[in-house]
Amino acid sequence: MKKITESEEITVALAGAPNVGKSTIFNLLTGLSQHVGNWPGKTVEHKTGVFRRDGLTMNIIDLPGTYSLTANSVEEQIARDYLVHENPDVVVAVLNAASLERNLYLVAELIELAPRLVIALNMLDVAEQQGLKIDYEALSRTLNIPVVPIVARANRGLRELITQIEQECGTAAGLRNVKHIEYGSEITDVIDHVDRLLDDGITGLYPKHWTAMKLLEGDEQINKMIRTRMPAERWPALDSYLKEHESAAVTIATLRYEWVERMMAVAQQKRRVGQVSLTERIDRVATHPVLGLFMLIAILGVMYWLVFSIGVPIQKFLDINLIERARDFIYTLSYLPQWLQGFLADGVLSGAGTVLTFIPILFFFFAAWAFLEDTGYTSRAAFVTDRFMHALGLHGKSCLPLVLGFGCNVPAIFGTRIIDSPRARLLTILLTPLVPCTGRMAVIAIIAAAFFGSAAVLISIGMIILSLLIMAIVGLILTRFVIRGKSSALIMELPLYHVPDIKLIGMVTWQNILAFIKRAGTVILAVSVLVWLLSIIPNGNINDSILADIGKFLEPVGRLMGLNWQMMVALLSSFVAKENTIATLGVMLSGSSGDFTQQLKAILTPAAAVAFLVVQVLFIPCVATIAAIRQETGGWKWPALILVFQLVLSFAIAITVYQVFSLFQGM
Amino acid sequence: MESERIEEYLEAIYKRQGREAPVSTSSLAADLGVSQPAVTDMLRTLENKGLIDYKSRMGASLTRTGEERALLVIRRHRLWERFLTDVLGMKWDKVHKEACRLEHATSPDIEKGLSSILGNVDTCPHGHAIPDDKGNIKQGENRPLSAFRPPVKVRILSVDNEDPKLLRAMEKLGLRPGAIISVIKKSRDGSLEIEFQDTKLTLDTATASFLTAEQLPEVSFTTDECEISLGELNSGESGVIKNFGGGRGSLGRCLSLGFTPGSIIKMVENYRRGPVLVRVHDTDVAIGRQLAEKISVVRTGSS
Repeated sequence: MKKITESEEITVALAGAPNVGKSTIFNLLTGLSQHVGNWPGKTVEHKTGVFRRDGLTMNIIDLPGTYSLTANSVEEQIARDYLVHENPDVVVAVLNAASLERNLYLVAELIELAPRLVIALNMLDVAEQQGLKIDYEALSRTLNIPVVPIVARANRGLRELITQIEQECGTAAGLRNVKHIEYGSEITDVIDHVDRLLDDGITGLYPKHWTAMKLLEGDEQINKMIRTRMPAERWPALDSYLKEHESAAVTIATLRYEWVERMMAVAQQKRRVGQVSLTERIDRVATHPVLGLFMLIAILGVMYWLVFSIGVPIQKFLDINLIERARDFIYTLSYLPQWLQGFLADGVLSGAGTVLTFIPILFFFFAAWAFLEDTGYTSRAAFVTDRFMHALGLHGKSCLPLVLGFGCNVPAIFGTRIIDSPRARLLTILLTPLVPCTGRMAVIAIIAAAFFGSAAVLISIGMIILSLLIMAIVGLILTRFVIRGKSSALIMELPLYHVPDIKLIGMVTWQNILAFIKRAGTVILAVSVLVWLLSIIPNGNINDSILADIGKFLEPVGRLMGLNWQMMVALLSSFVAKENTIATLGVMLSGSSGDFTQQLKAILTPAAAVAFLVVQVLFIPCVATIAAIRQETGGWKWPALILVFQLVLSFAIAITVYQVFSLFQGM
Repeated sequence: MESERIEEYLEAIYKRQGREAPVSTSSLAADLGVSQPAVTDMLRTLENKGLIDYKSRMGASLTRTGEERALLVIRRHRLWERFLTDVLGMKWDKVHKEACRLEHATSPDIEKGLSSILGNVDTCPHGHAIPDDKGNIKQGENRPLSAFRPPVKVRILSVDNEDPKLLRAMEKLGLRPGAIISVIKKSRDGSLEIEFQDTKLTLDTATASFLTAEQLPEVSFTTDECEISLGELNSGESGVIKNFGGGRGSLGRCLSLGFTPGSIIKMVENYRRGPVLVRVHDTDVAIGRQLAEKISVVRTGSS
């Protein structure tokens, strides 16, 4: 074994299925050194970090979570392209001991692409609780791959993992005689035949034999690549041979699973006893068509209850004690010119500053979302809602991005890439802006809390239900009459539940909040300054300003829903960022007396307040979402349509709501 | 008693004919417990009476008249067996010998009397068909149990052996004609592993060849013969994946998730509407109803 030389730098890729604790290991190793971005041209998270020990520098890449490497999804494609193109020194396959059988399939595929492999067998404790006993040493001997047992949640076994990675690096690539899967002569002959039909160099960095196998497996990405690179006259021969041997895909997968079963026979000493696992027990409720829905609603209820009972009071406290005091302080600095005082107090602090006080609220949304994702619940949410998605001509896969839309519409739009059918994808993109995102909900939450007090939770949940209802109706109309076609098939894994990793959730929440602060410092700041400028031009009096003119121009429409021109301006400003509604209101109401609640109550009747919530939740998507839709649909056609459609839709429904409520009020 | 011996011979030839034709003198000698020359003598006599065709060295076969006569004797034999078990309450291992004697002393009137007392019976206690009074016999699809390919569910039709020891052993187990058993496995030596009334038994090669049976519609004890779609599997039931009818697009995804032919699949939740939840290779997978309809499985049971 070669000794690692001083200051050696190596690259380590973490591969594994979703929910196996891969991200936990990544966090433990890299700590705060990590950099989170996107894979080039993709919206899949790209996480890199550095681990240093005794002169050894490890660049660690957290590959997207995948079950296989057959490019069925963007994640799988990214993971395997990384392995092929970047050729990391060591690949660490993170496996969940409690669902080893499924996880070993990935190992079967990794063996063919990664020269140096180390297996990190995570969650051995969970497996043991389920009555499983894994003989990792026997597995290691049989595979001839080092297997390191770890419990990432308790930070156990990571030191050994690092040592093993170092050792593995010292071995020459290919020295380890890792046993490839034997496919049997019959199928090997077929693979070899395809291999011979391929010219040298045509497969690029992909191994030729591997490419041949993927072609037989029906891998569309590889198929497309070969078709474009191959001389046109030679393609038909290969294509017809592939068609002739279509069943090879089934044989290859079957043989891989047989290999997995052999490995399981070696590794698993004790079969799972008849006991019902925690996952099964939870799923009896979580995936039940009725109970599951109640559970989903209850979980959302708890999430919002936390926001209102803890987040909102903190936000109010910050608003009063930080922003208000700072504003007062700025006005006491008499040596500053008056325009600067106005700019700082009314432009910056009342606008962007107020937005920043929402961080405690957003904290709960992000944390709750990360929590649900980490425990493995989100796929269950998709499962129980699949029934309804079907009514819309969509399926559970469309539901995932839509559910993601609750966090933010922008990643939801990009997330629609997981949908294979272009039709279902377009539909999902068109429906996403009707999902109330955290930005909208933050505004809803603030206004509802300010106006309705204790009834705010009910009102907020009502708003969610309303927008989902509208989304369902719009979806129904779109699938039946506008974009007709066949809906595609749903197939998705439900990972095992596991105890959420608090550190990981903290990290994800922190990253989201950081991004929000960045937006507050740029786009939101710019808009709040712009709104402030518009509000003082030409003479410093907001009632004569350009802003007031715009609002007054819109007032006839606003009056139909009980909103004055100030509320209309606030609504319009949400086009830049949904949270801006509050910032704008902050600026515009800064002249009047009392706190935010009193200011609101002065200009809104209860019916108008409800109408405002409705129009806010259904209003045109923010600039960022529109930009995302343009990018994903490749033109201005659909974004323009969405703008017009949602403008009309939100006004129409809000007007109806206001008129109906006023009727009741009058009685 | 000439006629009694003639009847014995005709009966023996008839029973043998099912397995060999023409029937050789040596097998008749063995069946009747007499010497070969005696058999040869008797066969000549029978040929002269026009009851059999006989070719030396080849053997004998019944003529139409001979067959009618034989069936008549068999009818009396089996009616007596029925009478002895059903009316007199004798054990089925003892009735054969008694009936052998009685059959020859039965006048047409007694035969009529027996048949009217017994009512509408069509088999003897061992499961063999009783010929009617015109000498017609129902030919069933009787196959030796040893000829079935497990796993298979069958109904026992008859026992082609009069050995009292075997019959007593079967009686003890309750294994009588009409019993429904599942043949689970056939071992290399030909013995069968069967399941009967929830207990597993082993039948040796000889016994398996003495029993005849007919196949029941089910492929095996707990499996429906027909392939069903995954969507038809009830919650809690298991199956084996047979086939995949979906397009190339979803095939790759299904395969990498372990929906390979031969894989065991368990239906976790199927509410008849909406997606189904199945467990395959240790993982829960949600599948849309449309896709589930395209995957065919064979039901193997429930847990």
